[in-house]
Amino acid sequence: MDVKILTKLTKWMETTDLEEITWKNGKDKISLKFNNNPVHNSVISSALEPVLSPSIGIFRFARPGKTNHLKEGASVKKGQELGIVEVGKEFKSVTAPTDGLLKIISIEDSKPVEYGQPMFFVEPK
Amino acid sequence: MFKKVLIANRGEIAVRVIRTLREMEIGSVAVYSQADHSSLHVRLADEAVCIGPAMARESYLSIPSVIAAAKITGADAIHPGYGFLAENAEFSAACRDNGITFIGPSPKSIEQLGHKAEARKMAAKAGIPVTPGTKDCVHKDAAEHAAKVGYPIMIKAAAGGGGKGIRIVREAGQLKNEMNIAQSESKAAFGNGDVYFEKYIELPRHIEVQFARDVHGNTIAFPERDCSIQRRHQKLVEESPSPAVNKALREKLEDAAVKLAEAANYVGVGTVEFLLDQQGNFYFMEVNTRLQVEHPVTECITGFDLVREQLLAAAGEKLSYTGGHTVSYRGHSIEHRVNAEDFTRNFAPSAGRIEDWLVPGGPGVRVDTHVYAGYNLPIYYDSMLAKLIVWAPTREMAVARSRRALQDFQVKGVHTTIDAHKLIVENEEFRAGRTDTGFMERLLAPAVPAAAK
Repeated sequence: MDVKILTKLTKWMETTDLEEITWKNGKDKISLKFNNNPVHNSVISSALEPVLSPSIGIFRFARPGKTNHLKEGASVKKGQELGIVEVGKEFKSVTAPTDGLLKIISIEDSKPVEYGQPMFFVEPK
Repeated sequence: MFKKVLIANRGEIAVRVIRTLREMEIGSVAVYSQADHSSLHVRLADEAVCIGPAMARESYLSIPSVIAAAKITGADAIHPGYGFLAENAEFSAACRDNGITFIGPSPKSIEQLGHKAEARKMAAKAGIPVTPGTKDCVHKDAAEHAAKVGYPIMIKAAAGGGGKGIRIVREAGQLKNEMNIAQSESKAAFGNGDVYFEKYIELPRHIEVQFARDVHGNTIAFPERDCSIQRRHQKLVEESPSPAVNKALREKLEDAAVKLAEAANYVGVGTVEFLLDQQGNFYFMEVNTRLQVEHPVTECITGFDLVREQLLAAAGEKLSYTGGHTVSYRGHSIEHRVNAEDFTRNFAPSAGRIEDWLVPGGPGVRVDTHVYAGYNLPIYYDSMLAKLIVWAPTREMAVARSRRALQDFQVKGVHTTIDAHKLIVENEEFRAGRTDTGFMERLLAPAVPAAAK
């Protein structure tokens, strides 16, 4: 079990309204559960960097008329556009927070997303 | 009727709206900011969507985000609550343009009645008394204009706002001097020295009339609410009916509200606010084109559910009562706003975790709240924790019930205004029903240190 992944997940969970999650990856399985009013003061640094939705809206991997073939395991550059969130007439850009490997894609094209919803996890280089 | 309604609000009003939706078997969608993910409205609604970060500008006030949330969840109507986007004509129009019903008046009504000068003109045209004053700016013949309005008068800056450039003149001898001060103050503050005169109403009561109107032209005016107990224009206690209004005056007030609603071709619920002077004359002040915080006192004495009436009107149906312009009422109701504020420290806001939260109950007691034990109070929004509403057959019994309920109300973890309300209900003037907008200042005068002023 990678303790870095665990702390990263815990940190990310704090930014959401989730109380409990289970994450499986191959033989690894992590279950996390919060008590109702967590008080977290610790500063955590870790391996996977989540990419959160900048807005409520509809997620698309590419702007209209464009294509964008992203695959799990691909290399991404910091600032590279991973997709957009369409809210009203506006497109909000979703970009890679760092150079690294795109480990997880947790969103499908044309699906609604909430503000702060994790859509990708990047392993920084 | 609607299938699913999104509530574009938070706090107790979101909870309040969800309750009516559930009774009417309409689906509910809560929207919330990141800071509100553990708020009660999120837990009670059938669905909940996070629409943005804590700052209201990017969440509860973001029109594209709220509209996107409605489209994603398939809501066919949006209830705006009060505050945030409730009186925003642009939002009402955005709903309409996206095929979503806005549960409130049309953009046109919001614009007409929300604009103070426009609303005043419309009221005057409908034959409703407005505060006497000069229609235009006063440049010369000030003494004649002032005498015509009648002392005491207020000199107000035409470009004004926020109380700047306002001078009160009690007699003709002071006029010239005060006029000079007002003009130079106004020029300094707004770059424009134009002033006008308005009658100054000494220690008025704040009286308001709730009305509801449907597309079929049915209009109801409800018995008046008295909201005189305020602190810096923030209402603290509201009651209905007003101890200062008799049957004849009530009929005049209700008639004025009906006339205005009809003149504006208004659809939905709204409130006309009046100032009532010590002699029993009332003057139009403004219109609120939304549900108000203090709506429960009206519900308690009339048995109406005003959110239900809003839904009926917005859906194009008839109001639940179509038998005339007025409705009967029974007894007396008082509302106390419980805020997270330390009233001994000039009502400084208080934040933190609610450690203990025991709300009063029993006969004639209603508590509208989004708070529960263990709730972390976010710092980003208004400080209201709960509304305690009591009902009893008479005012005297209602005051006794308030006193009992306030004693029952136990909160630990944050400062609240409960103790301020205890002071109010013990006060002789309040018990006798002799309140006006200067009440809180007199009540707290000895408690507030000079340095805090």
